[in-house]
Amino acid sequence: MKRPRILPYVLVAPTLLFVLVFTVLPLGEALVGSLFKLKLNVPKYQHPVFVGLGNFVDLFKDTEFLQVLVNTGLYVLALVPLLLAAALVLAFLVERKLTALSFFRLALFHPTVLPMVSAATIWMFFLTPGYGLWNQGLHLLGYAGPQNWTGNPSLALPALVLVAFWKNVGFMMLFFLAGLQGMDRSVIEAARLDGAGGLRLVTRVILPLIRRQSVFVSTVAFVGAFQTVDHVFVLTQGGPSGTSTLPLYYLWSVRFERLDIGRGDALTVIIIAVLMAFTVANFLVNERHES
Amino acid sequence: MKKLALLSSLIVLCLGFAVAAPQTEISLAYPVAVDAPITAMLKGWAQDYMAANPNVKVTLVFSGGYPDVKTAVQTAIQGGAKAPTLAVMLATDVYDLVNAKYVDSLDDLVAQTPDGAAFVKDFLPAYMGNSYYKDKLWSLPFQRSAVVLYYNADLFAASKLRPPRSWDEMAKDAQALTVDGGKTRWGIEIPTENPYWTFQPLAIGAGKNVYTDDITVDFNAREVIDAVQFYIDLSQKYKATPAGVQSSWGTSTQNFAAGKTAMIIHTTGSLAGILKSAKFKVGVMAVPGRKAGTLASVTGGGNLYLTAGHTADERKAAFDFARFLLDPSRVADFSRATGYIPNRFAAQKTAIYKDWLASVPQAADAVAALAAAQPELATQNLNAVKTVFNKYLQSAFNASMSATEAMNAAQKESDQALADYK
Repeated sequence: MKRPRILPYVLVAPTLLFVLVFTVLPLGEALVGSLFKLKLNVPKYQHPVFVGLGNFVDLFKDTEFLQVLVNTGLYVLALVPLLLAAALVLAFLVERKLTALSFFRLALFHPTVLPMVSAATIWMFFLTPGYGLWNQGLHLLGYAGPQNWTGNPSLALPALVLVAFWKNVGFMMLFFLAGLQGMDRSVIEAARLDGAGGLRLVTRVILPLIRRQSVFVSTVAFVGAFQTVDHVFVLTQGGPSGTSTLPLYYLWSVRFERLDIGRGDALTVIIIAVLMAFTVANFLVNERHES
Repeated sequence: MKKLALLSSLIVLCLGFAVAAPQTEISLAYPVAVDAPITAMLKGWAQDYMAANPNVKVTLVFSGGYPDVKTAVQTAIQGGAKAPTLAVMLATDVYDLVNAKYVDSLDDLVAQTPDGAAFVKDFLPAYMGNSYYKDKLWSLPFQRSAVVLYYNADLFAASKLRPPRSWDEMAKDAQALTVDGGKTRWGIEIPTENPYWTFQPLAIGAGKNVYTDDITVDFNAREVIDAVQFYIDLSQKYKATPAGVQSSWGTSTQNFAAGKTAMIIHTTGSLAGILKSAKFKVGVMAVPGRKAGTLASVTGGGNLYLTAGHTADERKAAFDFARFLLDPSRVADFSRATGYIPNRFAAQKTAIYKDWLASVPQAADAVAALAAAQPELATQNLNAVKTVFNKYLQSAFNASMSATEAMNAAQKESDQALADYK
């Protein structure tokens, strides 16, 4: 009889333990906590009171939370496709044999190594009305619109998208670059011989070949869009008038500033549920394509 | 020989124990969000305290700002760990911190100290308003400030203008001093990314503070609405300030020092930084009120809290360290280095402070502004109330709503946020 292979499980065990302790158990606690009303700064709610789905119902009735949902939808819909498209284009560009290629790759990648707080602080000065580099650059291109990006209700969220894009596009580019460099060149050559070229070659041959990288990058981009919150703290503090409040910033505010534990737990459950739903759906769609 | 060796070993062992005698460990969490050499000062004082008290070890924990310190305290306590023994947090957070049992009362420690009562009485009454709740003392003023109007005195003199004494004068002065539609210079800048605090002097100057007590806000009072409209008029009618919300807390002081703005409304805590950078004479005064000759300001800043969950020895050592930090000479020195207003009467009598006043007369103007100051917005469920107020102030400033609509909406939602306390 063959002995069961335990080595793979031993090797995976530390990661599983980490996930159990730092993700599964806290998520379980949040799930249970979300069913109770617990507000540390309100004397009558300082001991948990079972309310079932009451916290969730209150959230979806709250205009502030609904604004956060709208902000999140716009943020993700703007940032993720932009990141994927730009990262792919940049990967194609830096995959070629160019003069000073290493410099360009480094220049595109360097924002990735900065902490988001540092990146946001740099952009805080870029976005300064009047003499900030961003506004001066736009002015040279003929832009005559508002300059106070972080104080304008229509521009605060795009400002956050801009910073997150600048910070992360180099990182996403790396994965696409790895995919392009790992492709079977003979397939590309064969397609060229058959007359495929330009956009057709990219969409019909190259993109399917790097599908796994695309799934990974889109998942990371989507999850990252939810997770990044430092730039909100530095640039807009969720304003003006809540137009740039994103889920994690709202969660921090509810949990640590308003001391509403039950609502904070409910928010955590919603955020995790959305992220898991997207991740699972993304992988299932990819698996269907593969088969 | 053997006996000598044994005796020597015993002596060394005893000395070792003496040196390694258990220390009481305390820590101070401090927010560093002001442009001043505060961290170096605090480190120096901590070293001095430990040199004088070798049985106490002091660790300083520096965080980004008041919210970061508050988050760190909560995370520690909720996680079952010990929070920093002392923490500098917003004075106005007292209700939430006490209700959530994150901080301890100081009454017993004051009573145990021989001159405890006199020590507490020496703090400026304007700054003690947020220290008491449920008839107990919860915090001590540490870095307290007020909102003031900084103005370019040389520019005013060259333009033959006097410092404004009313809203009307302030608006017209700002209009006169705006050059090239603000491209070269604005007349006035008021940071409004977190607007409630810089806005409060305008409401107070109109005749009404924005709240009455910890469960009653007055956002839709006629005077408050008029103050919102005045801010809007500064850009719409007088073209003297950039339109809409201005995320300029950090840049407005730089703009002012560089001569790109003739006046700013800002904290006294920026005084030292502004005086260091500006190449012109800087004027400081309380914010002019609506009526001629009236002035308005609002208090602000952080208090020193003793967090919950510490042993009796730690509490005693922490209170002793707090008293050390709040010694009049150190309070005066801190004020001199930062521009924060000295929070003790005894500090204002020290030679350090008097010498500073002699070389920096603006410091006296900053203290004088306190006479016109009313308390900063402080209610139960404070963050929820502030979020609502800020949201609707910004909506009004950005012209998404009229001043009346915005303040009525702010009143309604704030009343809902305070309903649990009534």
